[in-house]
Amino acid sequence: MSKKATRASKPKADPDAEGSAKMSKASALKKVLFMSQELLPKDADDGHLRLERFFHPGHGKEALFMTHPDGRIMEFVEYAEPRRSWLVNSEVCSNGRIYMTTPVDPTLLALYHLRKHCAQKAMSLDNIAVEEASTSRLLNEILDPENLKCVADVKSSGEQKFYRYNQERTLAWLALKTRQVVRILKEKQVHCGHSAQSQNFVRSEKLAAENVSNEMDYTRMACDIVGRYLDADLHGLLINYLHIPSEIQAIVEEKAAAQKRKSMAGKDEGSDSKKIKLNDSDAAAKLKSSGLVDSDGDPNASITSPTAAPLKERSLTAKEKALAKGAKGTKSIASFFKVK
Amino acid sequence: MSITLDFNGKNIAKGKELALHFLPAKINGDGEANVDHYFNNYTREATEFGSGILTNALRGYPLMGEKLKVPEGYRGLVLQETEKPISYSSDRQLRLTGVFQDFTFWNYDKVPSNGDPYRQALFQADVAQALAQPITEDDLEAEIARNKENANDSP
Repeated sequence: MSKKATRASKPKADPDAEGSAKMSKASALKKVLFMSQELLPKDADDGHLRLERFFHPGHGKEALFMTHPDGRIMEFVEYAEPRRSWLVNSEVCSNGRIYMTTPVDPTLLALYHLRKHCAQKAMSLDNIAVEEASTSRLLNEILDPENLKCVADVKSSGEQKFYRYNQERTLAWLALKTRQVVRILKEKQVHCGHSAQSQNFVRSEKLAAENVSNEMDYTRMACDIVGRYLDADLHGLLINYLHIPSEIQAIVEEKAAAQKRKSMAGKDEGSDSKKIKLNDSDAAAKLKSSGLVDSDGDPNASITSPTAAPLKERSLTAKEKALAKGAKGTKSIASFFKVK
Repeated sequence: MSITLDFNGKNIAKGKELALHFLPAKINGDGEANVDHYFNNYTREATEFGSGILTNALRGYPLMGEKLKVPEGYRGLVLQETEKPISYSSDRQLRLTGVFQDFTFWNYDKVPSNGDPYRQALFQADVAQALAQPITEDDLEAEIARNKENANDSP
């Protein structure tokens, strides 16, 4: 909704409010949820789904996850626009959010604990963070230990298995994850470049045809998405591993390329400028014939016309400056994906 | 602490089908309203903007809307908490109010399009799916080997 319509910001006494006395007060907020069908309980005797808090390394604090009695887990995300609400049958619901369950790999969540506890020595899962109930539940009841092979060295002695964090394997594993995300971004034609941000607003058919996107832009975006589940320092290592130049550097490079194009265009324009320019020789001849210059008196004096001065590099016009300024603050598509 | 979703498959199968409107406005209040009489009555089809586009108005502000399905692979549920939690750490329960397959998405004075933040947000689900996809050990070994090779090429 546009900023104009902030009726809510200045409450007025309105005639409809009279009826509010007899409105039944809802006891608690309703929640609108998009629930993944895979996670839905099938039978009547199935156990109940639960929402539990686990430490989310990307947020740096606990977040809600939906767990199935059989140990499957999904992230519980909410989509919130600033001004939204629901009408449910004949009830107003002021909570205009949409809650959604999205798949998550519990290995990503376990990675944080492995790095914290198992970087120096191998440990068995039931010995890690015994004092933290949610962590040990995650590691022992939800996580599939088979998957830990991707991020850790496994040593087994008898029944027991011990895990030690392995950075090389972790980074390779994360790089493969990043590539999976790149693939889906391409498939969905999500626009990732910072160069044409205005196209975010409408994803037109045209966009699909124009292959303006740059491989590195996709990788950077995918890496940022993966990074949302990682500690900041591990995210940094992943960026290095994938050889992603920083975004600022990329913007500077792109700007330099754009300027080069612009100055070349400027030269072309100069040739058909409206001002009539005289050739040097013409000007000299005209000046001579006009008799304004006493050429006989000083034959060595050369006559220079003002047009002979070298063309200065074309600077940006006011209009172009305004356009560049306007494009600066444009929202990037990543801002829409923010996990709330 | 945890929150239990107090329903099972049978409850969902029998769940009441709800009609939902996703309004582009903040409403400070919850409760009954005469939605049929004051809102649904005024929903019109506006074929000049495209097929399936609806118009209505909320407090005189024009709305443009469209019937949308719940994203593929998902089921729409409306949950409600019957008792207020006593404290942050206490166990809570959410009960099922009803289910839905589609809802009406309303925009303020704008034809719903792929540019809407709602539709863009749905990519999140696909991205999360791709991210959660397990990686086989063979692929992992190949990647490690490849990385070592690259490191040797450009020391």
